[in-house]
Amino acid sequence: MTGDMLINYALGILFFPLISFIILIFVGKRLPRQGDVVGIGTIILTLILSLAMFGSMLLSHDPGFRHEASFTWIDLGDFEIRLGFLIDNITIIMLLVVSLISTMTHIFSTKYMEGDIRYSRYYAYLGLFTFSMNGIVLANNLVSLYIFWELVGVSSYLLIGHWFEKDSAADASKKAFLTNRVGDIGFFIGLMLVFTALGTFNYAEVFEGVAKGAISGTLLTFAGIGLFMGAVGKSSQFPLHIWLPDAMEGPTPVSALMHAATMVAAGVYLSVRLFPLFTPEALLFIAYTGGFTAIFAATIAITQNDIKKVLAYSTISQLGYMILAVGTGAYVAGFFHLVTHAMFKACLFYGSGSVIHAMHHALHNLKDHDTDPQDMRNMGGFKSKMPITYWTMLVATLAISGVPLFSGFLSKDAILAGTLSFASHHPQHFLLPVFGFSAALITAFYMFRLIFMTFHNQPKLPNVYSDIHESPKPMVFPLILLSSLSVFIFYTLPYFNPLSDHGWFMELIKAKDSMVPGSPSAHDIAEGMHHSHTLTMILSILVASLGILLSWAVYIKNSVSADNWSKRLDLYYNLSLNKYYFDENYNKYLYQPFLRLANRVSYIDWDLYDKYFINGFGHITKWLSSVTGRIDYDGLDQTIVDGLGRSMGKAGSSLKEIQTGRLQNYMLFALFGVIIIIIFQSF
Amino acid sequence: MNNLLSISLFLPELVLTATIIIAIIVDIFSVSNRTSKVSNYVIIGLLATLAAVFLTNHSPTTLFMDSLAFDPFASFIKSVVLVATLLIIIFTRYSNEFKGYHTGEYYALLCIMVFGMFLMASAIDLITVYLSIEVVSLMSFILAGYLKNNPRSNEASLKYVIYGAFSSGIMLYGLSIIFGLTGTTKFFAIRDAITTLDSSSNLALTLSTVFVLAGFGYKISAVPFHFWTPDVYEGSPTPITAYLSVAPKAAGFALMIRFFNQVFVDGDSLSTLGWYADVSFAWPEILGVISVVTMTMGNLVAIQQNSVKRMLAYSSIAHAGYMLMAFPTISSEGVFAVMIYLVMYLFMNLGAFFVLIYVAQKQGGENFEHFSGLGWRMPIVGIVMTIFMFSLTGLPPTVGFIGKFYLFVAVINAGSAFYWIAFFGAINTVVSLYFYMRVVKTMYLDGNPSEEIIVPPLSVTLILLVLAVPSVFFGIYWTPILNWVNNSLLFFVQI
Repeated sequence: MTGDMLINYALGILFFPLISFIILIFVGKRLPRQGDVVGIGTIILTLILSLAMFGSMLLSHDPGFRHEASFTWIDLGDFEIRLGFLIDNITIIMLLVVSLISTMTHIFSTKYMEGDIRYSRYYAYLGLFTFSMNGIVLANNLVSLYIFWELVGVSSYLLIGHWFEKDSAADASKKAFLTNRVGDIGFFIGLMLVFTALGTFNYAEVFEGVAKGAISGTLLTFAGIGLFMGAVGKSSQFPLHIWLPDAMEGPTPVSALMHAATMVAAGVYLSVRLFPLFTPEALLFIAYTGGFTAIFAATIAITQNDIKKVLAYSTISQLGYMILAVGTGAYVAGFFHLVTHAMFKACLFYGSGSVIHAMHHALHNLKDHDTDPQDMRNMGGFKSKMPITYWTMLVATLAISGVPLFSGFLSKDAILAGTLSFASHHPQHFLLPVFGFSAALITAFYMFRLIFMTFHNQPKLPNVYSDIHESPKPMVFPLILLSSLSVFIFYTLPYFNPLSDHGWFMELIKAKDSMVPGSPSAHDIAEGMHHSHTLTMILSILVASLGILLSWAVYIKNSVSADNWSKRLDLYYNLSLNKYYFDENYNKYLYQPFLRLANRVSYIDWDLYDKYFINGFGHITKWLSSVTGRIDYDGLDQTIVDGLGRSMGKAGSSLKEIQTGRLQNYMLFALFGVIIIIIFQSF
Repeated sequence: MNNLLSISLFLPELVLTATIIIAIIVDIFSVSNRTSKVSNYVIIGLLATLAAVFLTNHSPTTLFMDSLAFDPFASFIKSVVLVATLLIIIFTRYSNEFKGYHTGEYYALLCIMVFGMFLMASAIDLITVYLSIEVVSLMSFILAGYLKNNPRSNEASLKYVIYGAFSSGIMLYGLSIIFGLTGTTKFFAIRDAITTLDSSSNLALTLSTVFVLAGFGYKISAVPFHFWTPDVYEGSPTPITAYLSVAPKAAGFALMIRFFNQVFVDGDSLSTLGWYADVSFAWPEILGVISVVTMTMGNLVAIQQNSVKRMLAYSSIAHAGYMLMAFPTISSEGVFAVMIYLVMYLFMNLGAFFVLIYVAQKQGGENFEHFSGLGWRMPIVGIVMTIFMFSLTGLPPTVGFIGKFYLFVAVINAGSAFYWIAFFGAINTVVSLYFYMRVVKTMYLDGNPSEEIIVPPLSVTLILLVLAVPSVFFGIYWTPILNWVNNSLLFFVQI
């Protein structure tokens, strides 16, 4: 496929969802089926275009493929901003992931959201989200990236707050938006640092500038960390991770699309794209943020009882993995994990949606509105009632746990190999692989805990259990498709070795050298990873089986009692259950002081400044204008015009009076004007 | 270029003339009261003229023995005028002010006025200048008084006639002095003659230029030659008011730019568009003062208005003041800014006037109280009007912001001697916020929001969108306009 054709395809991929948004938001309600056909139709078109691009990428098999097109947006002489597309293999794979998961969400939602009061608006927002997400992926410069970045934030806000009648949903959407803003400020600072130093927003030109040393040292480190702050916010990394669990208040298909597979991955995508400009110091910061988030979120996931909360913390933890990979230089592995994770995590979320849907219906039939349909303690034994959901979720769980034969094993293995090789070069950073491997252990444990609590054992609520049914076809189809895509074969082709670190993916995405002078080359990093491959494989299979075994012992065999252990580790258990009290402490030490400050400022602004200064200014302006008005009307009209008019009025009609009176004056003043100008001129 | 060769480059005017003749003939032979038929022909004719404007491509030259210039700048102004005219014809068809009047010749008169403005855009001869201004003025007089049974319309027309005669008298006097001094009517010959004048003629030259300025000031309604504007604008049928506030003003600015740029041009810097200001006549300063006084006076009096139509009349005076800001800079950047502003102003001002026409029909009046609660009762109209008001104020992301931005850039870049103009311009922008936002406030905060929603007919919605979408779109992505203006910033010059 030629470059220009690709650009046309990309335009279609970008704008079809936007068209759907515009149609649905204005006339959606009046369309048949409330317009969901429009949303599904456009997203399928998008998917077809993405598949075509993907196919052409596989056929041409060119790791260095790259095509760029841009146009001038703002031209103010020496200040010019150009917007455009950058299409390379990363873009194409990412576009396919976004459109695929988005298509699945559209299909899944036809049943899941059936009968919702704002059904058409929901589909409209899905279109808006897909548009903005594809915009992020296609951008070839930081400005349009930033614009679409914020648009994604807006659509996330709208979709989390879809059921805004619920206070918790409204609060969650606000929290998500504001927390993201904190990261975005860092992003903006980084963006401006880069622009001030290099005078361009275009990726390639920025990298060129970095390579030339036009920006370097501490400034570049700060710019890199600033840009990375955007990723911290959007990818929900510590310490801005607090919004993602709350975002689960949104509809579950939305959680699958945005808060598992695509939107939260935008931060990782950003770090991958900008990898060449990060200095070693910035990369270290990134690695520790990611590694710490991975283990930190995993320890919270262990104790959560809400099925979606477990998945949310697991997402944070997995995103931490990807960020960790970027930090250790193995950013291709990070991107690989992004893709595999998108498939199995979306599958897990659809699975949880399917379970919640079933629970919800069963509870609804019992007229029980108090039992929480998302609490795993109310489930158990669903395996026989929902076989498809069970088996597909099991496949996805095996993938996320890093069991061989599944996709997660490949990508996680690559990341862990990266950390191991990094630590072997820098022994003082031994904590990074420790973070990685222990998080892998805990992940296997809590994911199987989820499976066992939900699908195995005796049903906890027998009367609810008896009414549980498998979900309808449009909900089951995405589960089957995505769980199949969690099998290794789709990523290792044309090879069939499930343990190999080769495959089309690794062949098409080749790491680029960092542009920062003095950084290790991509080749060295790959070499190191290759060396530690075998050791990593053995270790990771070991920790995964250990985690699964532990989980089996605790939740199936009951040979280890979870209750006893939680009592014995009381302090830790409570910390984990309460998410380390982050929300409470943020509230106490950040929000409340800030609110008090805001109150003070508002007092000064409103009661002092506004009342006396602004209003005073307003009074002066009003007075001035009334004076001018009076000169124009009272002075001219009343005194001179009417005065003249009155003297003539005796002779003529009132109409004539106004006409002649005014005009003479008009001309008189124009003449005065001419004379004043001439006098002014002559001196 | 001689007369015969000129004909081919005179194509737009020829198509326009044909349109005028067809309009008159169709009007004569059509059954009375079926006058929308005439407007159909006129619309087609004007579209053909627009096509002709774009098709007549030639390097800058002169037509008809140096009496008209043919250059991209003239074509640019012609296009702006044509777009405004097309919109006004559509406005007229939807306005009910003309009910009971025979509007056949109305369209013919409008086209003759367009012809006059075409000449204004390309005049480089004192006689053509005077004739073109007169053609436009005479047509304006008739159109302003078109509502024969409406005393206010009659009043407007009569005031306009007398004031117009007065101004053109002064101007003609100025032109004749220039002819007396230089012995020629051609711009370029005048320029050459001026440079050889001795200092004893300075007073006469000053006097004549101020007189000519009075004529231009009348056309673009700059203080103190603006007095006719509010009365005429208020009394005229609203579509004509909208038209007068955009098209003749664009042509007036074009003529003014050409006159100052080519008569007072520095022979050495013709290619860089440097302006010749070395006459003992401080016209940059004078124009600066006129600009500041015009915008201040327009904005302050607009605050006091209770009629939205009268408010828009004063607002159009203020906008003429903004555009005049760029004149004292004597730079091509200034001309560039004025040209951009003319395009931007076309959309937002005509948009505001169309909303006014529609609201006046639905609510029965043009005062602020007729707008109360409108935002709730007619959501589309409310949103669109808010966009126009934001744009007229100059807030991003609307075209008004971009237009003002380039004006201010031109003034600031001209050096610290002109900062005071930018300062007053900025203050005036703030003042104007008051009365523009008053419309928005009246629409959304006053009145009873629970009244029944009125959805305007599709045709009205379409017109609103045609005006509102560019008002926002070009506020975000204005490079197309920029490129167009950039390509059009090319005058015919004779060295």
